[in-house]
Amino acid sequence: MTSRSKCTLKLSNGMEFSGELIGAPLRASGELVFTTGMVGYSEALTDPSYFGQILLFTYPLIGNYGIPKLPEKMTIETSTGFESDRVHASAVIVSVDSAEAFHWSSRQTLDEWLKDQNVPGITGIDPRHLVHIIREEKGISGVVVPEAPVGERSWHSLFPSDSPAVFFDPGTHEVVRAVSCKESYRLGHGNKRVAVVDTGVKWNILRQLVQNNIEVEVLPWDSDLTKVDCSGWLLSNGPGDPLKTGDLKTRVRHLLNGHHPILGICLGHQLLALAAGATTSRMAYGHRSHNQPVQLVGSRKGFITSQNHGYMVDPGTLPADWEPWFTNANDQTIEGIRHKFKPFKSVQFHPEAAGGPRDTGWIIEQFVKEL
Amino acid sequence: MPLLPQLANLGRKAKIVLLGSGGLTIGQAGEFDYSGTQAVKSLLECGHEVIVINPNIATVQTNPQPGVKIYLYPVEPEWVEKVFEVERPDAIVAGFGGQTALNCLIALHDGGALKRFSVLNLGTPVETLKMTEDRDLFAQKMRSIGMPIPDSFACNTEDEANNAASKIGFPVIVRAAYACGGLGSGFASNQAELSTLVRSALASSPQVLVEKSLRGWKEVEYEVMRDSQGNTITICNMENFDPLGIHTGDSIVVCPSQSLSDDEYQMLRNAAIKIIDSCGVVGECNVQYALNPHNLQFVVIEVNARLSRSSALASKASGYPIAYIAAKVVQGFDLLEIKNPVTEVTCAYFEPALDYVTIKVPRWDLGKFKGASRLLGSTMKSVGEIMSIGRSFPEAIQKAIRMVTENDAGLAAFERSTRSEKDLEATLSEPTDMRFYAVIAALRQSWDFERIHALTNIDKWFLAKLQEIIRCEREIKETLSSKDLSQVTAAEWRSWKQLGFSDAQMACYLLEGKGIPSTQANISHESARIRAARKTQHVTPVVKKIDTTAAEYPAKSNYLYMTYHGLSSDPGLGSLLQHKRSALVLGSGSYRIGTSVEFDWCAVSCSRKLQEESWRSVIVNCNPETVSTDYNSSDSLYFDEMSLERVLDICEFEKIDGVIASMGGQLPNRLALPLAKAGIRLLGHDAETIDTAEDRSKFSALLDQLGIDQPRWIAAKTKAEIDAFVARIDFPVLVRPSYVLSGAAMNVAYDRLSLDRYLSMAESVSPDHPVVVSEFLLGAREIELDGVAQNGDILTAIVSEHIENAGVHSGDATMVVPAQKLYVETVRRIRSAAHSIAKGLRLNGPFNIQFLARSNHIQVIECNARAARSFPFVSKVVGLNLADAATSVMIGKTPRLARLSEDDLPHVGVKAALFSFTRLADVDPLLGVEMASTGEVGCIAEDFESAYMLAMESSKVYRPKKGILISAGAESEKLKFLPWAKKLTDMGLCLYATEGTAKFLIEHGVTAQAVAWPGETSGIDPIELIRSKTVDLVINIPKNLQRDELTRGAMMRQAATRFGCPVVTNMEKMIAYAQAITYYPDFASTHKPKALPPYR
Repeated sequence: MTSRSKCTLKLSNGMEFSGELIGAPLRASGELVFTTGMVGYSEALTDPSYFGQILLFTYPLIGNYGIPKLPEKMTIETSTGFESDRVHASAVIVSVDSAEAFHWSSRQTLDEWLKDQNVPGITGIDPRHLVHIIREEKGISGVVVPEAPVGERSWHSLFPSDSPAVFFDPGTHEVVRAVSCKESYRLGHGNKRVAVVDTGVKWNILRQLVQNNIEVEVLPWDSDLTKVDCSGWLLSNGPGDPLKTGDLKTRVRHLLNGHHPILGICLGHQLLALAAGATTSRMAYGHRSHNQPVQLVGSRKGFITSQNHGYMVDPGTLPADWEPWFTNANDQTIEGIRHKFKPFKSVQFHPEAAGGPRDTGWIIEQFVKEL
Repeated sequence: MPLLPQLANLGRKAKIVLLGSGGLTIGQAGEFDYSGTQAVKSLLECGHEVIVINPNIATVQTNPQPGVKIYLYPVEPEWVEKVFEVERPDAIVAGFGGQTALNCLIALHDGGALKRFSVLNLGTPVETLKMTEDRDLFAQKMRSIGMPIPDSFACNTEDEANNAASKIGFPVIVRAAYACGGLGSGFASNQAELSTLVRSALASSPQVLVEKSLRGWKEVEYEVMRDSQGNTITICNMENFDPLGIHTGDSIVVCPSQSLSDDEYQMLRNAAIKIIDSCGVVGECNVQYALNPHNLQFVVIEVNARLSRSSALASKASGYPIAYIAAKVVQGFDLLEIKNPVTEVTCAYFEPALDYVTIKVPRWDLGKFKGASRLLGSTMKSVGEIMSIGRSFPEAIQKAIRMVTENDAGLAAFERSTRSEKDLEATLSEPTDMRFYAVIAALRQSWDFERIHALTNIDKWFLAKLQEIIRCEREIKETLSSKDLSQVTAAEWRSWKQLGFSDAQMACYLLEGKGIPSTQANISHESARIRAARKTQHVTPVVKKIDTTAAEYPAKSNYLYMTYHGLSSDPGLGSLLQHKRSALVLGSGSYRIGTSVEFDWCAVSCSRKLQEESWRSVIVNCNPETVSTDYNSSDSLYFDEMSLERVLDICEFEKIDGVIASMGGQLPNRLALPLAKAGIRLLGHDAETIDTAEDRSKFSALLDQLGIDQPRWIAAKTKAEIDAFVARIDFPVLVRPSYVLSGAAMNVAYDRLSLDRYLSMAESVSPDHPVVVSEFLLGAREIELDGVAQNGDILTAIVSEHIENAGVHSGDATMVVPAQKLYVETVRRIRSAAHSIAKGLRLNGPFNIQFLARSNHIQVIECNARAARSFPFVSKVVGLNLADAATSVMIGKTPRLARLSEDDLPHVGVKAALFSFTRLADVDPLLGVEMASTGEVGCIAEDFESAYMLAMESSKVYRPKKGILISAGAESEKLKFLPWAKKLTDMGLCLYATEGTAKFLIEHGVTAQAVAWPGETSGIDPIELIRSKTVDLVINIPKNLQRDELTRGAMMRQAATRFGCPVVTNMEKMIAYAQAITYYPDFASTHKPKALPPYR
């Protein structure tokens, strides 16, 4: 083993843990969250929903199959393994990272990739110990401090109101600004066009739409939605608090006057619920895993889903025209809603998977059929 | 969905038959006691009455308990139907008893019995089972849903197989249909190999499948559960360390997969769900894949629509109680309404998230089978397995190797000598039970792992991790030879421990570095110093839970392991809970020849009794095939190493009041003295008792002092001593070298020639390696006494009698309780001697004493100051749980015992051994002083003959209906058999006999047909008689017990096992059988099944 430099993880509750540095020697802070998925680390790290969060993997061996080569330019076919063009998580915490990778698709080790991406990581940490802390104390943040940092992984320029405070909390900022595209763009070909409101959309959502012969128009999150020509709307996933999205809620509410099908995913689900008149709140420690059971309301049918969210739609706040579509079989939280009469639906989980189980891919297909 | 309406609408408790898997054999072992036991619990909870049919008397599932009736009967349609007649059950579950139960269910369905008795099959429909079992139908089904399968052809004849192979192209793989454990399967790279394989496979199976070989591909499995609503989950996946080509039972298996990307993981998971859904499986299922290591190509290898060995492993690896949940699902409940019993708050419909890595390593005992090929392939050969848990691959694999070799030094104990490149290359290029160690050797010799990969096709990720271990091994060696232990830093200790090094292993490196010999005493001494040094630096392991959710939810789990990759132990564990006294029960470790499910029964009984007596029961074991490692068998379960180091760690963390080392067989018993020396309190027998019983010289001296006779013996340090001894007592003698290069350790020498040969197999005769030579009595009866003593007084002891004369290992012998043919005076003398021994040893717990008797003269062979293999058998036959009673004694209570007399039992019990020779081609199925059986069965009935018939049938010695091929051995044996030969021919059986036997029989007026010896060109070919099933029983008695010569007799015996014909090699056993057959000519139609009475 090559000797690595020391690195410290400091938590907002004053606790400190020492480990070793992987990736870039930068200080980085963020909300501390954990995922229990055992595979799919490159997908998770590039998932824009993890923006501003320090991602802790509970599975202790990360990097085993390496990192596929990041395509020069994103194309649907070549970007398997990535959900955007860069790592969005602030920093990474793993127990043991694989120093070497031999998978046929691998081009880099986790360490090398994080260096390239200017993202720090810390290894030699006991994830289970941290999970207990995250579970006990709500809203823990942390900062990864390399022994000899050469700089900061910071969003200071994007969020000037944020003092160079030690602990960055994505829940207090309009973080969608940092992950949304700046210009709209189109992908795929087809008779139908779906407008995607990009609050940090995962590539696999776009891939799946394109694979279903849909022309996709990806819009910056602050676009004027009234001037878009499309057959349906997809409200994408994304980071942060759904209430910290400017007037997006109001713009979505306008869409509800129309008749084009709407599908909300994750943050998009929360936005749809807000637009409909429901409320949302921050969860104790969220759902971030590949094994969340959801139940189709009114049936004995369940699905295993991939999830990554820290906010939820409050039960009992849905207006009369709306109903729960899915509920979580473990904690009964709302996992999906639908309009009773119009083709408006949303799910808290990720039907596009990547990573995680693909059991609910039919939701996107169904949406496409309704266009 | 609640309970199925067919069960809910009965208006009374439903009666449900659960089929077990019978005696343990290679390919079908303890995992089915785990699954059956969980299923029984699950069914009972739902308020049903359960009827267990399983002749495996040593299992936990065959414990009588309220609401459960036990039928110790063969799991064969004929007998199950008879139980139907008596019990009139409402439903049957067959998914928990392995291939045996599944085959039986299919036969019951096809034969119309299910319909006739209106018995509902719970779980996967029979049509689906048949489809997954018939490879042709299976292939069709897979094609219909677009699942890739390897090119394959189902063949019913050799010609068809040849045609198939020419279409596919060599190499091909041949698999037998309707066979578990890959029996009769293998690779063929040319026409000749194909013919041999196909012929042997078709002997035991109506159909074989010839497929394209996919050597070098990865082998990956998924465990899947589906409910009647179609909700499907994968419990976990598993990746084989070795590439495809080695039976999964013989593979090192890692859970979860390590080298698969999300894309691959989800692709195979999706496929598994699609397959199971389209097949309509209800309950548990296992899907095996081959995955191309260079792209996303994969093929489906097979589907097991039942609980399997892999499910038991998956259950232990993930913490998800698969069998328990599956048993709920088959009753109609859906996964959404079943709670996850580990968290008690989340539902059973989810997929476990692991935050650790587990590794299963098979345990082969191929050295015990003389002549067995060590080559691994598609026929399973291992007799047991262990599973290790760690938070890094090196930590887990190092633990695993120590667990399976039962050597605290683990990798340090293997391949220390430098092998030639050529030799290594040869060993690496063929999969054998020793290949793993060759990989280690190659890495030690600084081979590049690319080269090892090229030879083995083992994934480079695994090889790189092993290389990391070997690099660290060098670092430890260098550091410890240059630094004093007190100078080693905490960081160094921790990094070594995180890579899985044990204290004993580091002790070996330290000794090696200093040029001091690695004797056991030196290793122990240095290990203790290392332990003390690192503890000074606070380098100790932490305890983590296996909770199915990676700590996402708080868990009530008691399922624990230790690791050095951790900052803290999980909250709420260990010594915080000390409001009760606690005992640590040491389990059996891996099953192997000599240690099997019977010791798991002992450990489970012990743990339950401790709980009943308000003690906190903590179990340590590393065998995933056990009930003792179930989530509810103890208050705390450590799925961890059974080493001195780890047991001390557990004792310290849990503040254990005492350790019970006498319930798990030989392995824990060996730990008793070192534990006592380390200051741990032993419950039950004290260290001195154990030492005296185990130490041959001390025990012998005690017997002399007590005036109890024993066979004469010496521990010879020179050849001259042996000569002098043999001159005094004469042949035959039993020879037991202390170290043997290969093969079985014990042998009977009948003459100087064989004595010399056995001695030459020993490394040397020297003061360091003495050879024990003892008197061997011919024609002596063997008698065992199993019992419980308290402070030197026997509380209860049961006599059992061996059918075979002394010379057959007690584990292979057929036993009967109560004794049938012993003089009352012999029994009196045995009991009297036992009382003296109990006093002399101050026995205080479970014990077993083995005696020899000739006329009324008795000798003591040995005394085990621990529970013995026969404990469950004896306990169930007499209706008194000896393990319970022994546990009471060990915690200082006097058990309430019914005054017991074996003569007032309402039945007779017979225990018979079960062998796995069919899986070990090339092995002579002859029995001798070394144990060879892999399992046992025990049956009860109103008389000896009935019980014997049932036990024989349960051990797959089926009643002959056509003819018997006899070779009766010595003149005396022929004479003994003569009266029975007459009776057998009177029953219409044709006797075929080898030359001498035929001549003898004919001379004495018995009709018999002489046959030639194998290899002779004229006369009737005996092998052909067996192959063509003209005879359906082979009696082949060797002239003596020398098992190592390749005789013509051996060729016949091997032919019998190869073609699936029962073979009896002992005359006493045969005579008892003849007695039973002739006493009940219509046994099957007249016998009325009877349930095992509950414990008194």
